[in-house]
Amino acid sequence: MKMRAWALGLFLLCCLVARLPAAPPTMSDPAVPLAHSLEALRAAVRSGGPGKDGIPAIDRPRFVPAAEADAWLAPDDRVIGYYRDGEARAYPQRILVWHEIVNDEVAGEALSITYCPLTGSALGFRRGDSEFGVSGRLLNSNLVMYDRATDSRWPQLLGLAIQGPLTGRGLQPRRLVWTTWEAWKARHPQTRVLSRETGYVRNYRRDPYGDYTPLRGYYRPESRRLFPVMAEDVRLPPKAMVLAFRDARRAAAVGLPALREAGVMRLSLGERDYRIIHDPGLDTGWVFLAPEGTRIDPASLRFGPGGVSGPGVDALEPVPAFQVMWFAWVAFHPDTRLVREGRRP
Amino acid sequence: MNAVARLLGALLSRPASLALILGVGLGYGLLYLWLVGDIAGGGSGFRLAFPAWERAFELRGAWRFEPVGILELGPWIWTFSPLNTLIALGLGTLLGLDLAAARRLRRVARQCPVTAPTGGLLAGLSALLAGGACCAPLLAIWLGLPLAGGLAVLAPWLVPLAYAALALGLWRLAVRQAPGRGEGGAE
Repeated sequence: MKMRAWALGLFLLCCLVARLPAAPPTMSDPAVPLAHSLEALRAAVRSGGPGKDGIPAIDRPRFVPAAEADAWLAPDDRVIGYYRDGEARAYPQRILVWHEIVNDEVAGEALSITYCPLTGSALGFRRGDSEFGVSGRLLNSNLVMYDRATDSRWPQLLGLAIQGPLTGRGLQPRRLVWTTWEAWKARHPQTRVLSRETGYVRNYRRDPYGDYTPLRGYYRPESRRLFPVMAEDVRLPPKAMVLAFRDARRAAAVGLPALREAGVMRLSLGERDYRIIHDPGLDTGWVFLAPEGTRIDPASLRFGPGGVSGPGVDALEPVPAFQVMWFAWVAFHPDTRLVREGRRP
Repeated sequence: MNAVARLLGALLSRPASLALILGVGLGYGLLYLWLVGDIAGGGSGFRLAFPAWERAFELRGAWRFEPVGILELGPWIWTFSPLNTLIALGLGTLLGLDLAAARRLRRVARQCPVTAPTGGLLAGLSALLAGGACCAPLLAIWLGLPLAGGLAVLAPWLVPLAYAALALGLWRLAVRQAPGRGEGGAE
């Protein structure tokens, strides 16, 4: 009788565990240099105003064809694009500004598309069976996410848990592209677009912070940030957009005018060499770890759905990069290397 | 409480006071809804839809609830939340009552040289400040002021504080105008 009760209890426990969502896939040694201790990062987290899930993530996204989205998206509207294995998705900034996270699945991979309007950063992360939500807290003005499996706290720009059971572990990033609807549609004519039918009622024609076309309000490069930060650097205006990347020890930021001017840029971080290639169609940059002796002929480069390709590029290891407002990047990485126009890297 | 009831009775029975209360209530209510973002631009025509009644009680933040429907009227779009609207109209009505009571006190004071004539004006000013307090963080963000971060911490307290300050102001005005204080009497 006692054995039966134990077996039943064990069975029920197994059922319960099987129903719990699994934690997101993580890395034990994320390539994120930490200029501040985890304790200092936790202490700098503050309320952003809305409560947990007060900014609701989109958990059941719907999509419409590009032709249908043309009715409500202007050519110069900002979108966050993602491409994988033949599937292209566009997430309009004017929708994400109200939701910040979309828990999606693209080409069989579950991922979270995340966007922080206060830092202008869009990053993708693998999410496994878990989902991410908006905690309502900010760190250096940046969105602090939580995962619904363990409630660990993840500042978006670090992609690393600073609080909760997964503290110190890093998420697996996926490259998103910050560009215009016109540019994304030209590169991916078959793209599908996040629908305005999100399950929530919002005024998707209005951005509460300002405007990107033309630059207005909070998004103006010279405008002031709203929340305190852990470090400041006046080499660029606070909201100037930079292309940022990092390895486990160092961080780098490249001003877009400098990248446009150079086309292909070589940059060394410690003993590592990188090549940064400007994509004129999407007006973004692709970053690669390049071994000694790598030669790239800018005239031979081709830009397609998967990014840049060509002789000398195909064998290189791509490095996750993203565009972000300068003040936020430097708040997390005060020792960042900066490349500006007119200055050799 | 009797003093408040008597004051309300007096204010609501006079068309001029009633018009002031309704006007301020509606005007402040719309201003509040605009400041919290429920009413905004971006419209271009007419549309009325209520697709999310089930979200009526879902919280978005401190004293802010999910919209359940959308009303598009010309250049304006109203993402309608019944509870946000109730909070807005409640604050507006209390502010209207305070201002109408202050106006009444001022008129009485003019007839009675014993009372300082600025009493009603000060009461009206404090009512306006209390009514506006709840929107301070939103105004700071709107104006791009760096103090928005500090105000965000206070946000959960501002709406209840505004309600409490307006209710207290109304009670004080009612007590000052109660018979036996030398300030009461008909307008």
